Amino acid sequence: MEANGKQYHVQLAPGDVGRYVLLPGDPGRCAPIAALFDDAKLVASNREYVTYTGYLDGEKVSVTSTGIGCPSAAIAVEELAIVGADTFIRVGTSGAIQKDIVSGELAIISGAIRDEGTSIHYMPIEFPAVADLDLTQALQRAAKKTGVKFRTGITQSKDSFYGQHEPERMGVARNLQDRWKAWEIGGAICSEMEASAIFVISSMLRKRAGGIMMMHGIGPVISLDPLLETAIQGLREIIAFDRSAVKI
Amino acid sequence: MSNTDAKQYHIQLQKGDVGRYVLLPGDPGRCEVIARHLEGAVHVATNREYVTYTGFLDGVKVSVTSTGIGCPSSAIALEELVRVGADTFIRVGTSGAIQPGTKSGDLAIVTGAIRDEGTSIHYLPIAFPALADMEIVAALRSAAQKAGLPHALGISQSKDSFYGEVEPERSGVTTRLLDRWHAWQVGGAICSEMEAAALFIVASTLKVRAGGIMAMHGEGPFGSLEPLIETAISGVRELIKADQLSREL
Repeated sequence: MEANGKQYHVQLAPGDVGRYVLLPGDPGRCAPIAALFDDAKLVASNREYVTYTGYLDGEKVSVTSTGIGCPSAAIAVEELAIVGADTFIRVGTSGAIQKDIVSGELAIISGAIRDEGTSIHYMPIEFPAVADLDLTQALQRAAKKTGVKFRTGITQSKDSFYGQHEPERMGVARNLQDRWKAWEIGGAICSEMEASAIFVISSMLRKRAGGIMMMHGIGPVISLDPLLETAIQGLREIIAFDRSAVKI
Repeated sequence: MSNTDAKQYHIQLQKGDVGRYVLLPGDPGRCEVIARHLEGAVHVATNREYVTYTGFLDGVKVSVTSTGIGCPSSAIALEELVRVGADTFIRVGTSGAIQPGTKSGDLAIVTGAIRDEGTSIHYLPIAFPALADMEIVAALRSAAQKAGLPHALGISQSKDSFYGEVEPERSGVTTRLLDRWHAWQVGGAICSEMEAAALFIVASTLKVRAGGIMAMHGEGPFGSLEPLIETAISGVRELIKADQLSREL
């Protein structure tokens, strides 16, 4: 924490965010997401971390960008947790791993392959990166309501974008290709760059994390709007779930 | 994406947008501050954590592009900058001191990096050393010497976890982090940051040059970043001069 009471990287203090936070990678995606909140306000912008806070169904909700990769995403989750957030939904794009996936289909993430260098700073590699079940189910309900095609499964969280897209020119080409084949055989559905660290750190901090991603597969991606609408609906679902749980 | 006439996917730059010399801070907010040291600098692109300004030093086109925190986003920046014509990269930023007795503000000129991160192994097996370009190291050292600033030459630890370094005791792998930190100290590494190893390894595979200069956080309060930035700028000038000389020979 800095002398001004704000967290070092995200530049947020307690009260700046709600307990529910959407986590896109791209800072430029925060404003369009915040436009779907009620009374959204920009609360901080520092480095790749942009945060808006508003309301959904009367509950304070926020959106904070993580930047690309687990190193910066881990910092975002750590500091957001310190200022009071406890429920994280990663929202973004991903590459399809299974060959039958058509672009635009949504991936609701159940767990992540720890193919990155951040989460091993937290927990040994054997520890599984698992999404929160309540959150994953809320996202599934949301996708059913918005009617967007989706599947639930495992994501590969990698540290190298070009290692995935152009493995043949890497010094470890065969290793990358062999591992990609393993993820395919293992049934992983998509590939992105943040989920595993978000999940492992959330496990350690006793917070909830999940993820919903639009996949690039067969054909072009038309619009991210169905993803954003479904993520927002997912927030409404988990808010409703939490309120009903409190009543019980 | 590999079509160099089009804008690169993440950095949103195309051929002509940048010079062959590019300064690489981590923080997008630092680009403008650095660009003020260039002649006629203009802002050319902003997308995600990637902000780019291009200007001139001694009549030669020079750019500054932020990498964001961490090797994953830095590797992307370097890959795409090479596609649009850059071939000489100097990381400019802050770092934590590893050796006791280091004073805050002392400059680290990086000769190589400990690959304590997850990106560079997507490029080359872990046994391959992450080395800075010697010409860049020499130019930066000459610049620091001329400025009369305290500096050290040495190895940087490039890590993926900021909080794993500053609060290892609450990690699930505390002993390992502490043991490894001890190893870097014993091995003589001078500073700890989060980007150099991938920049060096990716630069190696692409046959381009990369180096780095970092202000260290050590004992005492941390002052202005201006001496760091001025030294990096002088380093680029030295490099431009050296490159022009070697071309004339």
